[in-house]
This record gives sequence, structure tokens and C-alpha cells, in this order.
Amino acid sequence: MAKDKKVIGIVCERSVDLTDQLDSNGYLKDNPNVKIVTVPCSGHIQPIMMETALKKGACGTFATGCRMGDCHYREGNKFLRERLLGTRMPKLKPTVDKRRVQAYWLSAVEYEKFKDLIHQFDESLDTLGCPEG
Amino acid sequence: MYTQLIGSLQKNVVLPLEKVANKVFTQSYNPFYYHGALPNFFIWVLFISGLLLFAYYTPTLERAYNTLSYITHELPFGNAIRSMHRYASDGMMIFVMLHMLRVWFTDRYREYRILPWLTGVILLSITFTIGLSGYMMIWDQEAVTLTYITANFLKQFPVIGPSLSSLLLGGELVSDFTLTRLLFLHLGIPLLLMFFLWMHYLRITRPVTDPPLALNLVLLGGLFLFCGVFPVSLGDRPNLQLVSPTLDLSFLYAWPQYLITQGWSTGVVWLLVLGVPVGLLILPYIQKKALRGQFAQVLDSSCTGCSLCYHDCPYEAITMVDRNDPTSRFKRLAIVDPGRCANCGLCVGACAFKAIEIPRRDSQDVLKEIEMALNS
Ligand code: HEM
Ligand code: SF4
Ligand code: SF4
Repeated sequence: MAKDKKVIGIVCERSVDLTDQLDSNGYLKDNPNVKIVTVPCSGHIQPIMMETALKKGACGTFATGCRMGDCHYREGNKFLRERLLGTRMPKLKPTVDKRRVQAYWLSAVEYEKFKDLIHQFDESLDTLGCPEG
Repeated sequence: MYTQLIGSLQKNVVLPLEKVANKVFTQSYNPFYYHGALPNFFIWVLFISGLLLFAYYTPTLERAYNTLSYITHELPFGNAIRSMHRYASDGMMIFVMLHMLRVWFTDRYREYRILPWLTGVILLSITFTIGLSGYMMIWDQEAVTLTYITANFLKQFPVIGPSLSSLLLGGELVSDFTLTRLLFLHLGIPLLLMFFLWMHYLRITRPVTDPPLALNLVLLGGLFLFCGVFPVSLGDRPNLQLVSPTLDLSFLYAWPQYLITQGWSTGVVWLLVLGVPVGLLILPYIQKKALRGQFAQVLDSSCTGCSLCYHDCPYEAITMVDRNDPTSRFKRLAIVDPGRCANCGLCVGACAFKAIEIPRRDSQDVLKEIEMALNS
């Protein structure tokens, strides 16, 4: 059962640096049920990507972007946040279970913090329960 | 090599510093994130305090020193306002340079950002000129000496030197015209500053031009503190026959003159004065292009003309045009300007119709990767 608990993380390549933290299949070494998909900027992330992850059976999904104010492309992280909160088009569908969707704003040098946050998220998903794979 | 240097500067210096600043100020008030807005705080302080000073300043040989003396010693709060103006000018230079270093060290200064960078170098030179003319306008013995050194320095330039010097002095020698010229530099050049600031923002969508109120108040408090603890003073009434034996120059603005008083040769100082801005102008071109001409691609047949990407593009790279195509259901079409495009993908995040993609990361590939991970 635990094996089926998958989490999809869509991460900005400029925010928290995961180059040394992934196994050869793109899973987090410290949290092997977390699959990482990289994009150039959190502003590139479409809400439908996160919706798809949940629809196809992920237990949870998260995005990372740089610290608010430090987006390399100025506004990408701000826009993603607004899309997830439903104040900017295209919005995350209101029917999506918000407890399974997270976003973290961390700079490249904040892996330790990232690790803690992912661990917490993972545990909170355990209490929510996951769809059977 | 240089690219790696910039990369490691960002990773080992800038980001750790910002991490500390996030702890101290919290993310919303981190001054690093308002690097462009902070000089604007000083522009406002300089403008307001400058207006008050201008109300009393008289640009003639006879009266300039007297008005300064009146402002400094008699006018209620006169010296406080003078001190504000002085320390805000220092703050301006310092924060403009920090802004410049940050965009440089975080690789935010080339390719599609070339216009803000080049206009930035001009803004830096303008700031420098305004400040320097301000120090001469004080017209005490030191200011007169500074004017002499500057005029002499200009004169040493090959061929056009003498003209440069008489442009500054308004003739061969110091006269009433000199003070009019200084006033012109000090009030006229700021108009140029405004013009270049406008150009500076031209390709930046929604530039963050104002620091948050709390930061403004902290800076204002800091300025007040400086003015209270170190009020500025006025030197001796000038004797045009003499030069001041001691010069207490602001290194930020009068560094060329300072170097000259330290015995540096005029030629070397000229090389520096011209070399620094020219070097800064060339800087963005010495690094290999990261994007190699890539830019966002619109899939014409899918674009509905909804304008979402147009509104979200952070570098004004998208325009909406009429399709003029009766066979299409849609009236408008998004067009990308290759020279402005950052290849960032914010338009991809904004488009709900799969109509725009950046070459380096196709949104459909992201979806496929997600699905594959969940099917395995
Ligand atoms: C009068 C002084 C200046 C002011 C008030 C100023 C203000 C600003 C502001 C408000 C922004 C927009 C920040 C944002 O919203 O992302 C900006 C961007 C920028 N500035 Fe300045 N600036 C000044 C001088 C300079 C100088 C001296 C340079 C470098 C030589 C420079 C280079 C840049 C660059 C490259 C950007 C684009 C950054 C990006 O796209 O992320 N600026 N500036
Ligand atoms: S967001 Fe998509 S559909 Fe809308 S104008 Fe831009 S490319 Fe066209
Ligand atoms: S990738 Fe899109 S949003 Fe980014 S600069 Fe280019 S057109 Fe604008």
C-alpha cells in the first residue's frame, strides 16, 4: 500500500537545488515516493499539471518556486500562487482537494528546509489516506 | 569561466546573504527583493529636500555662500534639510550600486534585459554628475577647490579638454556663470534621469518601483538618525585666489578628484572615469548567450486571442494583433517579439489552450512525465 503512495513535485530549476538529491529515475533520495519533474520557472506550471497528477492517482502534489520577490523572471512564483489560490486565470479547479496541493517558496540554498516541508506534507497525506494504486 | 564565476557568486554569496535577510526582515520586507525600488526612495527624499533648498539658493558668486550660510545657521530646520539632502545623496549612490551589483551577480543583466542594463549605466553616470555638481554648489572654500580641480581635470582631456572646462565654468574663469552652470547641471540633469528611468522600465512589465511602507520608514528613520548625529557643516567663505589646504571629499561622488589630490596622474584618472562606464556597457556582451535565440512559439491554430499570456509576460514580449483571417473563429492572435522574450514560460503557465510553448520545455512533456510516473 505504501508503495502506491506517490507524490508528484513540479519544481522550478532555479529554486531549491535538487541536482544531488535525486536517484536515476528522478525520485527524491530522502523521500523515495516523491517524483520530481523540473520546469524552468514556477510560472511555467499550469494548474492542469497538478490536477492531472491527482486525477491519475497521485496522493499529493506540490510545486516549488523561488522566494517571493526573487523570481528570476520577476513574477512567475507570484502568478502560480495566485493560480493555486484561484485569483488568477487559469485557476486550479475549485473541486481539487486543497490539502493535497502544496507550494513552497525556497531559494536554491534551502534544501534542508525543503526536506522538512516535504516530510511534513508526506505525513499529512498519510493521515488523509491515499487512493489505492 | 566568467559564467561559472557569476553562478558561484550567486550561490555562495548572494543567496546565503538573502537567506539571512529573510530571517531578519521576513520575505515580504527583504530589502534584497526591492533592490530596484530602493533608489526610488532616495529620489523622493532628494526631490523634496532639494526643492526646499532651492527655495533659498541664489546662484551668484556673491550670494551663493551667504545663502548656504543662512540655510545652515539661521533657517529653522535648514541644516536638518541640508543634512537630509546630503545623506540621501550618499544613500542613493550606495543603493544604486547595490542594485547594479545584484542584477549583475544574479545574472539578470543581459540578453532580453539589455535595455535596463544599458540605461542603468547611463543612470549611474547621471547620478554621479548630479551629486558632483551638488558638492560644488555649496561654494565654500572646499567646494571652490573642488571646482578648480574638476575644471583642471576636464582641461587635460585631449583636444576638447579646454572646451569641456569652459562648458563647466561658463567661460575661461570662475564667474557668476559658473554657478548658473552648476545649477543647470544639478536641476537639468535630473530631467534626463527621469527620461532614462522611463526607458529603464520600458521593457519591464509592472516594475516594482516602490519599497513597502515599513522599509521606507526604516530608511527614513536611519536618515534622521544620521542627520541628528552627524549634521553637515559649512566651510570657510571662499577666497577665489586660494585653494583649500584640506579637502574632505565624498569618495562616492568625488573619487576622481580625490585620486588626483592623492597624486594620481590625470591620464590614469581619465581612464578610470571613462573606463568604468564603458566596461559596464560591454559587460553583458562578453558572456556567451544562454538562450541561443530561443523564444516562445505560438501555435496559431490553437490561440484563441484571450490575451492572458499578453498580460502575464514579465518582459513586454507579447503583443496581441488582429488575425484578419475570416476562416478563423478567433479575432486576435498573440505574437512574440524574439528579442524581448526571456524564454521563461510564464506565458505557458498563463495559457489554458495549449497554444504557446517554449522550446526548452514543452508543457505536454511535463504532463507525459507526470502520467508515466503514475502509471509505472
Ligand atoms: C536611478 C537609479 C535606478 C533606479 C531607480 C532603478 C530602478 C529599477 C527598477 C524599479 C527596476 C525593476 C525591478 C523589477 O521590478 O524587477 C529595475 C530593473 C533593472 N535595473 Fe535598475 N534602477 C536604477 C539604476 C540601475 C543601474 C545603475 C543598473 C545597472 C547598470 C540597473 C540595471 C537594472 C537591470 C538590469 C534591471 C532588470 C532586472 C530584471 O529584469 O530582473 N539599474 N531598476
Ligand atoms: S494565452 Fe494562449 S490562447 Fe490566450 S492569447 Fe496567449 S497564446 Fe493565445
Ligand atoms: S517566454 Fe513567454 S512570458 Fe516569458 S518572456 Fe517569452 S513571451 Fe514573455
